[in-house]
Amino acid sequence: MSGTDFLWRFPSAKMAWRNLGRNRIRTALATLGVVIGVIAIASLGMTGAALQQQADTNLGSLTNEVSVSGGADSDVDGVTAAQLDDIESVVVDGTVVPQRSDATTLSTRSGDSQRVTVTGVTDAAALYETSAGQAPERLRTGALLTDDTASDLGLEIGDPVEYDDRLYRIVGLIESDSGFGPGGSELVLPIDAVAEGDAEYDSVTILAEDGASATAIADTLEAEFNDEDDEELSVSSFASAQEDVDNFLNTLNLALLGIGSISLVVASVAILNVMLMSTVERRGEIGVLRAVGIRRGEVLRMILAEAAFLGVLGGIVGGVLSIGVGLVVFDVLAGDRLLVFGWPSARYVVGGFGFAVGASVLSGLYPAWKAANDPPVEALRG
Amino acid sequence: MAPGVTVVQLTNVTKRYQSGEGTIEALSGVDFHADRGEMVTVIGPSGSGKSTMLNVIGLLDTPTEGTVQLKGTDVTEFTEDELTEERRSVIGFVFQDFHLLPMLTATENVELPSMWDTDVDRRDRAVDLLQRVGLGDRLEHTPDELSGGQRQRVAIARALINEPDIVLADEPTGNLDRDTGETILEELTALKTNEDVAIVAVTHDDQLVAYTDRVVELVDGEVSS
Repeated sequence: MSGTDFLWRFPSAKMAWRNLGRNRIRTALATLGVVIGVIAIASLGMTGAALQQQADTNLGSLTNEVSVSGGADSDVDGVTAAQLDDIESVVVDGTVVPQRSDATTLSTRSGDSQRVTVTGVTDAAALYETSAGQAPERLRTGALLTDDTASDLGLEIGDPVEYDDRLYRIVGLIESDSGFGPGGSELVLPIDAVAEGDAEYDSVTILAEDGASATAIADTLEAEFNDEDDEELSVSSFASAQEDVDNFLNTLNLALLGIGSISLVVASVAILNVMLMSTVERRGEIGVLRAVGIRRGEVLRMILAEAAFLGVLGGIVGGVLSIGVGLVVFDVLAGDRLLVFGWPSARYVVGGFGFAVGASVLSGLYPAWKAANDPPVEALRG
Repeated sequence: MAPGVTVVQLTNVTKRYQSGEGTIEALSGVDFHADRGEMVTVIGPSGSGKSTMLNVIGLLDTPTEGTVQLKGTDVTEFTEDELTEERRSVIGFVFQDFHLLPMLTATENVELPSMWDTDVDRRDRAVDLLQRVGLGDRLEHTPDELSGGQRQRVAIARALINEPDIVLADEPTGNLDRDTGETILEELTALKTNEDVAIVAVTHDDQLVAYTDRVVELVDGEVSS
């Protein structure tokens, strides 16, 4: 069955299709307006989605973290062993990782040197993702080094690094600068190696199940250790930061969609104009239709179908082009162009298409109603 | 319905229009009827109300006073939607300017009045009608590929697609040369008998009068003969 045979079953659609074919340039221009509108909505929406996905990826590792350090009113500089015990008793569904920090200069025999921060931890596996080697759960003897630093200094797994007059063998390389964290060049050592003799820890990182429980843990710790006048521990979580970023991106997204919608509104005004013009031009013809017994509802459906075709055509072309734009946007912003086919992004193409058809049909309503209710005897005079 | 039975009957029909210069009375107390199997020609000078009368008979316009009966039913008070149904099933129109739709083929133009009736397939009847008016080899041609006479024959076929009881022709030969006009009139005369319909034609063409059974003359909105 050919397309025309299929259309033949829907007289309104068939007539509408033929009518659109009569003035191809006008049809093409009206459709172009819709195409631009759909591209505007869909590609701006997808840009927002790409930004959001990128932000989620970057923030992802941090959002379930609660960071605890010495408070403003604390007598000691850091977190005491007793406080750590208290923290561990409060946190039931998370991993508590105490840390000590320092800084040093790493140098090689060839004379290269680089300033690095030194972090002493017990549980390296919880905090660090390795790109090579491994991050042991109990870090006792080895060292982890950011991979950029390692390649700058020509160090590999198994090579020794020196800190505080002692040598540590590199057991793993960690990815540098993933997200907002301390980042930069970092040397991770067993906790006892760093600031030996200190009773306090510089900070404690708590890894919760997810952002929500991180917020809950942060609240519990706040209530446990601090009150209005006395901050024993400074507690911060990134969950709220992500919420802020999400809120901002949502607002940005709405603004982008708003801008996109304006162009589709303009397009639907253009359709209104085109449909009105074409029904005025065809007034006599519509009069003939009415004279030979075509019902008002049938004339109405025919003209609505014309408007709907403009929307569907524009929506399809615009949707395809938007996916093209999306491939580029996701490639640049999120690094993975195939994400464009995921629902968070694809929904803007679907939405743009739906908006295009809806706006077009809406624009067709008045011209259709006007043409259908024109008294035939008046219409026949043209 | 037997031949000779009245299809349309106007009784004391008056039609007034409001215009800038006051009220214009286009028809004043017109009585008229057309029967099956006869061809009635309405003649008169321009402005005499011929077109208005044809519009009233064709249910395109409603009278200010008087009644219109179609096959014995008073349709004067019918709503627009009811009138549309009557036009669809009882009346066929042939216009001076043919009024074919340019984007449809000859067959599709003939099918047009029944196009939205998806439950009946009128294609065979459309082809048959086109063959009967001598356009069997022009079925898939669009109007711009047809001559004036051919277009009018398509229009006649279109008027007959829904098996009407009456065909209304407004200056059917007005845009045709004399020879072509003659063939159109022969066509109309043939269908009058073959299809057993009433034909009401409005014209100021003397040629047409020769083919009619009855002539009605309108002067200033009144029947004068």
